[in-house]
Amino acid sequence: MGNHMTNSTPILPVDFSAITKEQMIFAVFGYVTVIGSLFLLFILFSLMPAMRRRKQKKLVRTQGLPESAAAVVPGEVSAAIALALSLYLEELHDQETAILTIKKAAKNYSPWNSKIYNVINFNQIKR
Amino acid sequence: MEGIMHFFQHTGFAGTTPGNLLMIFVGLLFIWLAIRFEYEPLLLLPIGFGILLGNIPLPWQPGLQIGVQEEGSVMNLLYMGVLKGIFPPLIFLGIGAMTDFSPLISNPKLILLGAAAQLGIFLTYIGAITLGFGNLDSAAIGIIGGADGPTAIFLSSRLAPHLIGAITIAAYIYMALIPVIQPPVMRLLTTEKERKIRMKPPRSVSRKEKVLFPVIGVLLTGFIAPASLPLLGMFFLGNLLRESMVTARLADTARNALIDVVSIILGVTIGASAQATTFLTRNSLQIFILGAGAFVISTAGGVLFAKMMNLVLPEGSKVNPLIGAAGVSAVPNSAQVAHREGLKADPTNHLIMHAMAPNVAGVIGSALAAGIMLGYLL
Repeated sequence: MGNHMTNSTPILPVDFSAITKEQMIFAVFGYVTVIGSLFLLFILFSLMPAMRRRKQKKLVRTQGLPESAAAVVPGEVSAAIALALSLYLEELHDQETAILTIKKAAKNYSPWNSKIYNVINFNQIKR
Repeated sequence: MEGIMHFFQHTGFAGTTPGNLLMIFVGLLFIWLAIRFEYEPLLLLPIGFGILLGNIPLPWQPGLQIGVQEEGSVMNLLYMGVLKGIFPPLIFLGIGAMTDFSPLISNPKLILLGAAAQLGIFLTYIGAITLGFGNLDSAAIGIIGGADGPTAIFLSSRLAPHLIGAITIAAYIYMALIPVIQPPVMRLLTTEKERKIRMKPPRSVSRKEKVLFPVIGVLLTGFIAPASLPLLGMFFLGNLLRESMVTARLADTARNALIDVVSIILGVTIGASAQATTFLTRNSLQIFILGAGAFVISTAGGVLFAKMMNLVLPEGSKVNPLIGAAGVSAVPNSAQVAHREGLKADPTNHLIMHAMAPNVAGVIGSALAAGIMLGYLL
């Protein structure tokens, strides 16, 4: 390792005989394991909608709701509802209340904002 | 005059080599690419700056403790986070807290594209062996095909620490060049008709499904490849912090402050470690060639697998093969490339949401491949 570029051997000296059987098996097995693992994840999450639908149907039956209530809501419908709600809640201030209130402007008394108190103290310190 | 010469001997100019100047040029190129074209600026800019820092020759003075390779120096201590594999899991925590798995949960078959696009990792591993690299070095080089910087750093820090600079820089430079590398492969392997395929809009995903995904994900991948847990464990933890909606503060820190701090330190130290003496070697050149091949093979693997899926999928559920290219885990670059290529074929066909599914699955797939390699080879 660490051959400097001044070395005169070709940059890509390909030698297929360097691959051992074990390395080949590992490459194939490794790739298959990655696909297999994610395939399991695919199977598990493919079952989710069916489980969800079954649960919704059960809920509809027990509560006596119409069959259409058990239908899965498409993503675009959910997105449209979410957007409408968001716009509605953001635009609520368009209908302002006409009542105006004047907030109390006077500050509460504190020795920190009392001019007289500070002046008196200042004189005391001076003495 | 002697005093001036003595002073000159202590400046960086005295020890400058053509290699240093070449590396400084590379550093400036990275900075330019980051600022001018916004190619992976969050990493290319710190890496480019780090290359400048690492290639200013330091006056040899024992105990000065300045250089990244000098034991005990500040840069060396920060670099330990790379060598000991501390930073990649922290970055994965942040990525997990950023990732929305909804597109993937709503159309789970797209997970398979993220797995198929890891083909480049294993073929490049074989390719590196044919070029004379050792078994561990070849595995570390192969991971470039995953198009995932933190995974590449993590695996090379474990398997081939002496190649970490070249592997990381190759991984990030090709991730930055994804908009250049992927489109020709995608166009070559697909027909105009295939590129116009419209996919069904994704269904809505419940909160319960989103919470279950990281929990099931970590259990499944953890049992299959326990060596991937430092990466995938943190990735799924970050996602659970996000989706549980009860740890908003933690999720917010993970996806903003934490990942930003780690990215800066990681980028600068990786760049600083790419010094002319260790970087300008034939091995680095071979790694760059293998890395380019790995990206092309991974892209092709994803696209071809999508085409194969279409052979068995019913009409109306077909997959646009362009999104197969997003199976490499460069998030969100490769998904954006798939989206743009889709728009070129049909300006009204928006693929971005569909492409995000294989894209995030690719993150899981590449980390899993790294775990399999680590577990088997060490």
